[in-house]
Parts: sequence; C-alpha cells; structure tokens
Amino acid sequence: MPSIKLDGKEIPFEKGETIITAAHKAGVEIPHYCWHPGLSVAANCRMCLVEIDATPTRRQLVLDVLAWDEKKQDYVPGRKPKLEPACQVECIDGLVVKSDTSPNVSDARKHVQEFLLLNHPVDCPICDQAGECKLQDYWLSEDKQPKRKTEEILHKPKAVEFGDTIVYDAERCIVCTRCVRFMDEIAKDPVLDKRERGNLGEIFVSPGRKLEGHYTMMVDEVCPVGALTTKDFRFKARVWFLKKVPSICPGCATGCNTWLDYDARTGEVPRLRPRENLAVNKYWMCDDGILTHRRVQEKRTLHAYVGKGKARKEVSPIAALKAAAQLIKDAPGKVAIILSAQRSTEDNFALAYLAKKHLDVKELFLARVGDWDGDDILRDNDANPNVRGAQRGAGDTSLSPLSELAEPVAGQQISVLIALGGEADISDATTVGALGRAKLIAIAANHGPLTENAEVILPAASFAEQDGSFINRQGTEQRFSAGPEPAGDSLAGWDILARLARQLGKPIDWKSFLDVRAAMKAALPSPAAANPESAAAAAPAE
Amino acid sequence: MPQPLVGSFPYDKVKGTAVPKPTRTASEQGYVSEITKGIAVTMTHFFKNTRAMVRGERPDPVVDPMSEGITTLEYPDQKRPYPERFRGVHRLTHRDDGSPRCVACLCCSTACPAQCIYIEAGEYGGKDKRHGYERYPVKFVIDELRCIFCGYCVEACPCDAIRMDTGVHPVPYDSRDQFIYGKNMLLAMASQAGKQKHENPRAEPPDADYGPIERLAGHH
Repeated sequence: MPSIKLDGKEIPFEKGETIITAAHKAGVEIPHYCWHPGLSVAANCRMCLVEIDATPTRRQLVLDVLAWDEKKQDYVPGRKPKLEPACQVECIDGLVVKSDTSPNVSDARKHVQEFLLLNHPVDCPICDQAGECKLQDYWLSEDKQPKRKTEEILHKPKAVEFGDTIVYDAERCIVCTRCVRFMDEIAKDPVLDKRERGNLGEIFVSPGRKLEGHYTMMVDEVCPVGALTTKDFRFKARVWFLKKVPSICPGCATGCNTWLDYDARTGEVPRLRPRENLAVNKYWMCDDGILTHRRVQEKRTLHAYVGKGKARKEVSPIAALKAAAQLIKDAPGKVAIILSAQRSTEDNFALAYLAKKHLDVKELFLARVGDWDGDDILRDNDANPNVRGAQRGAGDTSLSPLSELAEPVAGQQISVLIALGGEADISDATTVGALGRAKLIAIAANHGPLTENAEVILPAASFAEQDGSFINRQGTEQRFSAGPEPAGDSLAGWDILARLARQLGKPIDWKSFLDVRAAMKAALPSPAAANPESAAAAAPAE
Repeated sequence: MPQPLVGSFPYDKVKGTAVPKPTRTASEQGYVSEITKGIAVTMTHFFKNTRAMVRGERPDPVVDPMSEGITTLEYPDQKRPYPERFRGVHRLTHRDDGSPRCVACLCCSTACPAQCIYIEAGEYGGKDKRHGYERYPVKFVIDELRCIFCGYCVEACPCDAIRMDTGVHPVPYDSRDQFIYGKNMLLAMASQAGKQKHENPRAEPPDADYGPIERLAGHH
C-alpha cells in the first residue's frame, strides 16, 4: 500500500485520498475547520496548511520573503516554502509532509487563528459550543496569545432564526461553509448560502425560505464553532457536565449510531449526536432521530400502577409484580404475549423465553408504531427500530400483528396479555376493545395505547438507561449502552421479566445483561444474517 | 514492654527535682489584705472603663489591642466591620438598569467544590435589546448551608456577577430552608460599602456606553 510520511510517521493511503483524509483515517489530526470527512473540500479556513517537501515529480513552491533578523535589527531577504492546504492536496506515494514539526506551519496556524478571532465576540460564557468549540481548542493549542486588536469588533446579526430548529449567530461564524455544503450535498436542499466577503461574510437563508426539512439540526452538528445552535439544546446544559455513551437512535429501522449525552447528576438526556459509522449512517442523523432523546423524559412510566381508568393507583414495584403474577396464575393456558418493535432484542427475548418456557404460550403478537415518511438519505419508512430484533428474540418465528388479537380474545382463548412497551399503532376499534377486555400487563417505559388499557403497569427503563441491541434494516445487530441510571422505579425490561418469573415460582437466573446475552446465545440458533458488533466496533472515538 | 499504669508505677526509679512548697507570709496567710488588693485591681478597671464608657472612648480591638481602656465589643449590639476582602455570603451584582449582570454561564457552579449553586438559564426575548447578546438566570439558587465559602465562584465568574463582599458572615437561622438563597435575595444584597452594581468594564447593548460598529445599513 502506498504511503506518505507525515511528521516522520508512515501513513498509508488509498488512491485519490487527500493528506488530511489519510491522516484522519490513521488517527492523526491536522487542525481544520472547514474540512469534514463527509463533505466536499472547500479549503477556505486555511487552518490545515502543511509544508510539503519537493519530490522528483512535484516541485516545492518557495516564496521570497523578508525575515526579521535579531542580530542585524533589520529585515533581511529570505526564502520560505509556500504552505498548502492538507485538505486539498492529493497523496502521492513517498510524499514528505510536515505538520506539527514545521515552524512555518505553526506560525501560519497561529496567524490564521488570530484572524478568525479578530471580530469574534468571545462570548464563551453564553455560548453553547463552549467546551467543544474548535476556536477554543485551537486557540489553546496553536495561538495562546491575548487579543491584540483593541478596537471594538464589527457587530453582526445575532440570534437570527433560520427556521423552527436553528438559531444563527453571525458574530461567532467563521464562514467555513460546512452548513452550506451539508444542506447542498447531504440534505439535497441548498437553502443556505454565504454572502459578502472578508469581515462581512455571513451565512443566510435563501430569501422567502426558511431552513426546514428532516436534516436541519445537522447543521449545528457540523458547525465547528457556536454560530449555529439548535433551539432544542439551546441553554439547556453546559457540555462539560455531560457524559457520553455510544447508543443507537430508536427512531426508525435505519438504526443510526449515536452518542448519547447525559447529565449523570439528574439523569437527563439533553441531546443525541450522530456517531460515525460508514456502514449505517456515515456522519449524519435526521431531526426526528436527534429529538428521540425526549422519549427519555416525556410520557415516562416512572412508577408501577395497578388498575384501570379511575381505579388505577400507584403501588410499589413488588406489589405490582405480585398482582401481575396473580393475573397470570389465574388464567393458565390463556396467556399471550405482545413483543415490541420499540424495545431491545434482549427484552423481547426475555419475554419470549419466559412465555415459551414457563407459560406455554403459543400466541405471539408484535406491537409496532405506525410508519413515518422515509427518504433515500437516512430515514426508513418503518419507524420501529427493532422489528427484526423482536422476531429474532422470539426465535425467528413470525409474529402476528395486533389486529389478529380480537378473535382469540373474544373466543376466550386469551384472557391475559403480557405486553412489552407502551406505544403501539392501534387504529381499529375491535383491537382496542380486545385490549380492553383482556387483562393486560404492560412492561413499558413510555405511556401509550398499551399502558392506557393495562391492568398492571411495570415501569421499564428507556433505551438510554439500559444496555441492549437493535437489529436494523440491514440485519446488523447494533449494541447500545446504558447512560443514566433508570429513572423512578424503572428497571431494565429483562430484569422485570426475571423478577416476574421469580414471582411465578419459576425463577430465571439472570443477574446482569451479560447473563441475558449468554442465555440468548444458548437458546437461539445463530442466524447467518446477524453479525453482532460489526457496526459498533467500527465506530471511532469521536 | 509497657508497664501497667495502675498500682505498680515505678515512682522510685523516676529521676527529677523536688519542687519546694511555696512559703507564705503572715499577711498572705491572713487573706484580708490580699483580697483587698484584688478588689482594688478590679475596681480600678471598673472605674476606668466606666469613665471610658461615659466619655465614649473605645479603641479598636483589632488595630489597637494592647491599649488601655475597653478592648472588647458588646457583640451583637456592637459590630466591628469585617476586612474588605472578607468572604461573606454571596450577592449578585446589577447592571445599570437593575437587571442581574449574571449571564448564567454556569462557570461558578462548575468551579464550586461543594456543588451548592443551581442555575437555570433563560434567554431575553425577541424585542429586548439584549436579545442574542445575553442570556440570564431564570433561577439562581445558592445553598448557603452547603457552601464552604472558598470564593471559587467569585474567581470563576467572567462577568463580575457574583461577589462575596457583603460583609455578612454565615447567619444562623431557625430552619434549613432559610439557608436556600434565591435570585431575588441574592440581588437584594449590597456590598459593605452599599454598592450593588458590577464593575465589569465590558459594554453591551443595554449599557449607556455601548457604541458598536454595526454592519452596513440595510442588510438586515
């Protein structure tokens, strides 16, 4: 494999790659603002300038300069290599590149950084980007000098609303045009553009339009500074309070890889960010996917409940478990289960395992939410993240839709239902009636049609609070990790089912998530389709 | 090997010098003259202090502790001002228009080792002059019970919004909830000199001395 030498380190590359791409893949960072691995090259920030030595086929450009001589106390003629942007120069085998080791490059970065900060308001205390801002990072690593400009900065529009989701601050903007290129190339809606030059440069929305569509919040994610912020996250948290765990978006069957940012002190999840996975979502996510973090707080079933309608009252989790066990014991042979396409494969497996092994259940149903509008970019029509996981958890058997529930309930073959998840798309009245007639035990994180009709509600942890996995539309099993502690009285879905089994006098000996994984591996024949961890393992640190 | 303390302490082996018993003269042994001397000292101070009190002379106990006269304070009726840099309970500084200088950046609560500061940030509305420039604390709560008065919050503040120069030491209260200082309470406090304004030199849109170089007219 051909390679280049960057600061003395051999870096392999594939034909057509630029220096910064090859370095990025090898885990070496060259400071940059406007370059993004998923976007086209603009080379306008001038931060990634590097010194490239001459090769037999490529001569080095050298500039005549006047350099200050300390001894002579005068400027003397000198020569200096012309620096080139690493994001634009294609790799050639044997190219010798100097980045951090060249004083010329350090000098250039320092001056570029100073220029970018000339009219910057330095309002880090009120800026949401503070703590993860490239201007801060590179000031500390490359510049480190106080502002030399004493004049008042040039003031530009602040807090301009670009649409329903994004707020723009022109003073903080370095006009790297990442957002412009994102909307053009990825979202296929070139609604943003740049106007004016130099100090006056700013991003604007096409007249008569606003920033809209399914991919607006990504412009905040690609923005290297605090110019674009989402209304959703604006002033909600300071990023240094947040911890992150790798997670999977529960929005649709695509299964975009995410970073789940959470506040360990309060258990809140103020945002999701896309995590690089070239096989699934590349670097992107859609707005609805990013907003799935709200499911961790909204409509949560934080406590256990027994009873329906007005008779419903909050009880202790153990009392609810006992009530659920009593319902199951009272109707031997008349129990059916509803698996969930919203919950993890492990939870579905746990319910199917309990039902098949201990309750002799034959009828397996699948609750799923309705479709949303998919597209060719990321979004799948199926808004359920784990339809295949639910099938896999049940041993790759086919699952009946909820609409087939009415007949056996009416015929008294089913009188107790154990349902995973609270949300389901139940449109027809007969199904609702059947759910109302049967005694329903819902193990749910969020309130929905299933918990409305439930006799017993057992609070389950949300996707953010428990380990698990989803199988996406490609058949890739992707693991997600637990972030905050489960809210309220909630527990992981499989944990509730293990405790329920204990109440039924048929103990299942699962102590941890790994026990469930081991049990799943032992109980289910491994299908060729599922290739666990392939996607999750491919994810880099940041 | 340690010796047992009780019963068999080796007194005979301990080396030392015997202290002679004090000898007393007859007048000392007679008590009356000695007691009269003692009362004389007390009464001397009593009349001296009475005279000082009548005249209103009271040297500062910190600056002039060795002087004659009354060198005590009748706390809490009399109080000595704390030094200028004494770290008392917190206060939030004001802008010219009386709004809090704080921008809810959470630097103080980040620096706080006792985690006693809770802030919720909000944004000035669309018609406010500060819209886009400033956010403000919707809630600003300090748990003075938890506070260890280290002053890190004051050090961390980039806006001179929080200060500990009130000269009020941690106050004892009847119940714990009285130690939870809210935003209005903190804004109502003043420095020892009675000042409530901040001294951050940076001018911003609501300030009178804010003179920006705006963009070319007609663009926005």
